[in-house]
Amino acid sequence: MGMPTGIRTLLKFNLKYYRRHAVLAILCTMGISLGVGIIVAVELINSSALTSFASSVEFLAGKATHSIISGYGRIDEKLFASIWKNPSVRVASPVIDVMAASLEAGDESIRFLGIDPFLDGELRSFAPSQGGTEPATFIEFLSGPVPGIYLSGTVMDKFNLHEGSTITVLTAGLEKKVKILGRIPGANEGLLTENLAIMDISAAQDVFGKTGYLDRIDIILKGDPEKFRADLPDALRLTDASTQKSTLTAMLYSFQLNLAAMSLLALFVGTFLIYNFSMFSVLSRREDMSLLLTLGTDNRSLVAAFLLESVVLGAVGSVLGILFGYAVAWWSIAKVSSTITDLYFYIQTAKIELTLHIALIGIAVGFIATLIGTGLPALEVAFTPPILGLKRQSIEDRAHNLKRVLFVLGLICFLLSLASAWASRFSIFWGFASAFAMTLAFALFTPGILSPLCHVLGTWLREGFRSLEGFLAARTIRASLSRTSISVAALAVALSMTVGVDTMIYSFRNSVDAWLEGSLQGDLYISPATTKWDHPLPEKLLEDLAKNPQIQDVERYSTHEMYLEGKPVRLRIVDAAVLERHSRFVFLQGKEHPWTALKNGAVFISEPLSFRFNLKPGDTVKLQTPEGSRSFPVASIVRDYSSDQGTLHIDRIVYEQIWKDPRIQSVAIFMKPGASPEPVRRSIINDFPGLDRTVVSNIKMKEDVLVIFDKTFAPTATLKGVSLMVALLGVATALMAILLERSREIAVLGYLGLTPGETGRMNVYQALIMGLAAYLISVVCGIILTFIIVYAINYRSFGWSIDIYINPWVFARTFLLTAIACVIASLYPSFKLSRAPLAGIVSDE
Amino acid sequence: MKSLLHLVHVSKRFHNGEGCEVFPLRDVNLQMEHGERIILLGKSGSGKTTFLNLVGGMDSPTEGKIFFNGNEITGLSTVKLAEYRRKDVGFIFQSFNLFPTLTVGENLMLPLDLLGVSQESKGREMLSAVGLDGQWHKFPEQLSGGEQQRVAIARALIKEPRLILADEPTGNLDSETGDLILSLIYEICRDRQTTLIMVTHSSEALWMADRRFRLSRGRLLQEENASPKEPDRA
Repeated sequence: MGMPTGIRTLLKFNLKYYRRHAVLAILCTMGISLGVGIIVAVELINSSALTSFASSVEFLAGKATHSIISGYGRIDEKLFASIWKNPSVRVASPVIDVMAASLEAGDESIRFLGIDPFLDGELRSFAPSQGGTEPATFIEFLSGPVPGIYLSGTVMDKFNLHEGSTITVLTAGLEKKVKILGRIPGANEGLLTENLAIMDISAAQDVFGKTGYLDRIDIILKGDPEKFRADLPDALRLTDASTQKSTLTAMLYSFQLNLAAMSLLALFVGTFLIYNFSMFSVLSRREDMSLLLTLGTDNRSLVAAFLLESVVLGAVGSVLGILFGYAVAWWSIAKVSSTITDLYFYIQTAKIELTLHIALIGIAVGFIATLIGTGLPALEVAFTPPILGLKRQSIEDRAHNLKRVLFVLGLICFLLSLASAWASRFSIFWGFASAFAMTLAFALFTPGILSPLCHVLGTWLREGFRSLEGFLAARTIRASLSRTSISVAALAVALSMTVGVDTMIYSFRNSVDAWLEGSLQGDLYISPATTKWDHPLPEKLLEDLAKNPQIQDVERYSTHEMYLEGKPVRLRIVDAAVLERHSRFVFLQGKEHPWTALKNGAVFISEPLSFRFNLKPGDTVKLQTPEGSRSFPVASIVRDYSSDQGTLHIDRIVYEQIWKDPRIQSVAIFMKPGASPEPVRRSIINDFPGLDRTVVSNIKMKEDVLVIFDKTFAPTATLKGVSLMVALLGVATALMAILLERSREIAVLGYLGLTPGETGRMNVYQALIMGLAAYLISVVCGIILTFIIVYAINYRSFGWSIDIYINPWVFARTFLLTAIACVIASLYPSFKLSRAPLAGIVSDE
Repeated sequence: MKSLLHLVHVSKRFHNGEGCEVFPLRDVNLQMEHGERIILLGKSGSGKTTFLNLVGGMDSPTEGKIFFNGNEITGLSTVKLAEYRRKDVGFIFQSFNLFPTLTVGENLMLPLDLLGVSQESKGREMLSAVGLDGQWHKFPEQLSGGEQQRVAIARALIKEPRLILADEPTGNLDSETGDLILSLIYEICRDRQTTLIMVTHSSEALWMADRRFRLSRGRLLQEENASPKEPDRA
């Protein structure tokens, strides 16, 4: 059955309209594409980062069903025998798993997997084995004079490394040579997503200073996992790939939440714009539609033709949007991967894979927004009596009457937002609902604000500045409220996001800065380039530092991953006596003699940890130790932005007594008054050339931390930029709409003697007034949003309290950006205006 | 004494997009004196509006020259043409073309605003002259058609232009109101010695013309002189 003739005629009629207004059609499609693109990009980034990690975990795990890890970071190798002999275990293989740098691979880290080739064969296809590898090479792998490694082909090709050559691994303050025996045997290179080296476990223990310890034991279980779990010693934990993935998902939760929140707000702006574009395309044909109705076309055919048109538009916009989203994700994935590595866990730059699921999300968003955008106005016009439809003013009259209703609805949204902010203590969902409702409230306030603002501005421009163009521009905006208020609302939403998020980031950065100022009181820091490296510092270095007469104090610290109630947290081992003298911790709770309590075996907990586990001073935390679980009293809650998972601080003396672990990862050096840290820095670099640490001043250390901070929020900037672009396309479309709808009035101005330049200026004024209105709305909405983000979203998802700082530069920059962008948005419409043949437009002949 | 308006061999042609040339005006010659009133008749599409647009500086002829007060306006820049319209020409349209977003007063003051003159008293005086005292703050939609056209006439005349171009000013009005509007235009032009070119279909307006012309196939043909006498309305 074919399409009814009426609808086909109408479709042809509508498509001709787009051919006549090609630029509008392009703007319209771009609006849809950008809206869809933002959603697709964020989805792609979120899923790709996790998929990349999960596939890497799965590939490295081979056939292992489970892994055994330590509740406090490392497993005593003596425990392996009992695991291996357990009747529930079919296969068990000990593993050393280390990220390390090498001189040859520059900045790129290599993952060194130490395995026992005799035990590992059943688990991993790529493990070298007695039968599958050349006997001489296999012997060299096990007991060569230089430790042998098999390296992934990608690393060898990338850095031009060959079989038989040696590479220098930087570890534990020493340069260790390892020999490349070849490419990883039996490895499907396509599945290898990272830089991987396989070596014998004993060689790995030796090279990486882990003699006597294992990082984990990979096993194939044949019995009941729960029964086996119950048999495990207290200090060990049983995990499987899905548990690991869910742990990582939980770790990434806050990070992804940030991106998702931005994408939702961007979607909000995008939908607004799609609605605006579609509505404009329908309403600008209102008179045509009314005429068609007068000629006998039926309402249903009219609506059907418009809906069909929106399907075409939605399809084109969605496909382009998916491509655009893919490009944005591809462009930003390296930055996001590096941020995840800095903050959470190591991942190689993730591969962007467009799945059907994500594509469908993009298409659904594009279609729904376009259908709503086209359907609602088409219905309205189709079911309006033709004679009313012919009167353009009828729509504007309705818009003016509606603004009071919208204002009341806005007030309701405003109150709902406040209620949701209060309810955010029960669920983060309400925090987002609050931000959404507040943004919606101000969007609904827009017509009510825009109309009197334009009246006042118009009069002021005419009487104060004798600017006729400004006066006419203000009046035209007011006269086209049905168009302009939607564009201004969309721009105001985008700007509010910018102001709100920028103020939040500025406040956050200032709070972090103040925290670093108090925490980093040392003159010099020796610390790993990434927190994922846990090799200890060489003892010789510590001895040298202790002997140096210029040094007053050395604070030794290490950070290990631990599990608290089954969730990963960080345990930071600190020198309480040194910190008490030198640092300025911010104690939020438990301010009475905290250092004495720490030295006596209590712990400090960070705000996120207190929030996640609902802990306060006086409570206890149960930690895994080599002797089983042990409770530690919580002395204080301290401000600490180092991890959103939560951090515990424990005194080194207490830790070493209980965990028997003297490893030190980093030190802070406090110089004697008047002594310069620079000679010490130079001597460390000279004396320990293989030290895989950065040796930096506190200023540099602070800068490095803030660089990571800025990287964390880099994707936010991209999303913000795209949202703003979408909103500005809205301004351009609104100006084009005014141009088309008010062409007659503009022509009359020409008859009255307005020059093309003056008409163009009027157009620029229109854009600027719309920008100004959006900016003023966004300043108020943005500040309120900051409070919602900080108190109802950030605190509820990260547990961090942030002091709010207002940065005048954020407002000045947003103002300038809006003004410049609005002028740019007005350029094309102004150009069109200057070229438009005005003669004859007003003729009734 | 030099004439106010002088058209010399003016032609206008354009392509209609299907490869054909259209000549709305062919070799038009016309000379008008200060204060003279002419009526332009013609069928739809005969080129009447094109003629007004050329004389009003909204469009340029393809051939020929147009002189206003002895100065050639053909070939002027768009800015100079806008200045010409701003100072010397007043347009009255069939559809009034008032700005619905501006009050009557604001519509009226627009030409003066464009000239940088802000004399509200003059505007009020003009409004009174067209019989619309007390309507200053109203919006066009609150007025009848006849009243709107009066505002349009006041807007065209407020800057005291030397030339008024009226395009079917009574086309949207009933005959009674139309007559009143024609009388108003006639009186104001007569009293102020303003030159008038009026395009009309209506024979009711012929009485007010010093000369009348007909445009046919682009050519301007002078018709028998009309009596410059206002009809008896008693």
